[in-house]
Amino acid sequence: MEKITKSKTDYLIIGNSAAGVSAAENIRKIDKTGGIEIFSSENFVNYSRPLITYYLSGKIGPDRICFKSEEFYSRNNIILNLSTAVTEIDTSRQEVITDRGRKIGYGKLLIASGGKPVIPFTSVTGRNNKAAGPGSEISRLGGLEGIFTLTNLADAVALRRYIEENSISSASILGGGLIGLKTAEAFLEMGLNINIIELSGKILSASFDEEASEIISERVREAGSSIFTGSTIESIRTDGGKIKQLTLTGGKVISCELLVVAVGVKPDTGLVRNWGIKDGQGIIVDEEMRTDVQNVYAAGDVTRSHDRLSGQEKNIAIWPLAVRQGAVAGKNMAGQNASYRGGFFMNSVEILGVPVISLGLSSLEESSSRDIRVYRTRHPEKQVYRKIITRNSRVIGAIFIGAVERAGIYAGLISNEIDISEVLGNISGEDFGILQLPADYKKHLVVGEGVEV
Amino acid sequence: MRERHGEKVKKIFIEEQYCIGCRLCEIYCQVRHSKSRKILKAFRKELQSIVSRVTVEEIGYNSFAIQCRHCADAPCVDACISGAMIKNENTGVVICDQDRCVGCWSCIMVCPYGVIKRDISGRKVASKCDLCFGEEVPVCVKNCPNEALKFTDTDPDTASAKLG
Repeated sequence: MEKITKSKTDYLIIGNSAAGVSAAENIRKIDKTGGIEIFSSENFVNYSRPLITYYLSGKIGPDRICFKSEEFYSRNNIILNLSTAVTEIDTSRQEVITDRGRKIGYGKLLIASGGKPVIPFTSVTGRNNKAAGPGSEISRLGGLEGIFTLTNLADAVALRRYIEENSISSASILGGGLIGLKTAEAFLEMGLNINIIELSGKILSASFDEEASEIISERVREAGSSIFTGSTIESIRTDGGKIKQLTLTGGKVISCELLVVAVGVKPDTGLVRNWGIKDGQGIIVDEEMRTDVQNVYAAGDVTRSHDRLSGQEKNIAIWPLAVRQGAVAGKNMAGQNASYRGGFFMNSVEILGVPVISLGLSSLEESSSRDIRVYRTRHPEKQVYRKIITRNSRVIGAIFIGAVERAGIYAGLISNEIDISEVLGNISGEDFGILQLPADYKKHLVVGEGVEV
Repeated sequence: MRERHGEKVKKIFIEEQYCIGCRLCEIYCQVRHSKSRKILKAFRKELQSIVSRVTVEEIGYNSFAIQCRHCADAPCVDACISGAMIKNENTGVVICDQDRCVGCWSCIMVCPYGVIKRDISGRKVASKCDLCFGEEVPVCVKNCPNEALKFTDTDPDTASAKLG
């Protein structure tokens, strides 16, 4: 280890993605002179994590993967420490220690360390395989080639290189959630044959309902991908240290030259491991984004914060909320009073040319509870499916496939808890608009100021 | 008076009681965002593929035209994963840089007005009101025959002081 050097900054931010950058930007708007330092264990000035599958497929180049320019940091006088992982936080002395042997004192600290991939266990058999043995964790299979996770840009760069150098023509993806499907899309665009292996009975089970899942599954199969639901990898067979074959639960054997593990992401709380947070749960923050430790804030995918639909503290790891939480944290760190109203799950992507949006409690059905009503519009010939879920005449969830236009109107209805009992008739219609909303809310939108979602 | 950093900022205000649902605002918006910017040329060759950034909603005798409200605290800017959706700190105008847009529709997901549209005529990108950058008055306002849209720094409804 290098010799320990000491310094101090007013605002220290761990993490250089949505929440961290948003916090820094908002701090600088208020405090023009205070020192701001961002620490990132990665070696990229700036990139947008949701775009890594676009980079993987070549849809966008390295020049378009950033969401802030290099100039953003210099213009705002933000010191960016790349390839520097914070390894320890000493909250009593108000300082952090990095893997480069630096100690940095802070006035205010923001933990925006994001998430890390969930790695399931499986057993490995094969020749010349250092890591073989039942119960080996995939992450520990250092000697094994051809197994990847895909949650950061370095993963995408390595994956691309591996596919090119080894002339890979087929790949398996463990996990049929959003990351898995975006990975599948990238692979299909690259001309690979795909197997998707999903533990639950359907793909996208966390954010969509049965019918939506079926529509997307069909599209994925049409594009040349096989989907194995209700199964996972029982064992991996290797040869010469390279992955060769997968045995799925139920006995099905498929050949495999490349495996991407995309079963999910959990809050990266390693830095506060002594805070007693259970694995998979985030750092609890209040509405000012403070943790219960003085001068320590947290924002983004690492947190558990107010979920407006359940009323509970939840980890909702999505970009828009990370940006908003970062902004609230930054304002409060710089001495203003800002509060976070909470959020709810939402996601929007295009999968193989079909736009899909899911809002709130989208998988609920009328059978789920007596006060739930579900309204649907279907046009299978156009691959259009719209579903609106209400509870006591308030929208609490929605799904849009094919026709996603004006989905945000429903996000506004959820967010503002608008009573829509008078307009329920056409609520899921493709032509549903502001004119059909309750008079007061309509007036608020048409002649009022901007509303917050 | 609406002000930002000491400068007056104009916005489009909707006067729904005057809207007659003629949709001229949509036509002129399409022409303004066509290649030729000439109504006849655009009508013959382009109009089908050009997205109008202003939307007329109409049921019976009720109608109004709505476009981006250029929100003070714009949710589309927060939601944008590509850095395409940017709010100009000086003018308050929210612009989508279509060269950066990747067509993920996160902006559509969060816009409570439903005024961001998918432009799928070429590479798929989000399309929204840019206040006719370069024009003194946005064309939807200029060509409204009944003054159902107003471009002003004073809210015609309240005429009260508000920050944009």
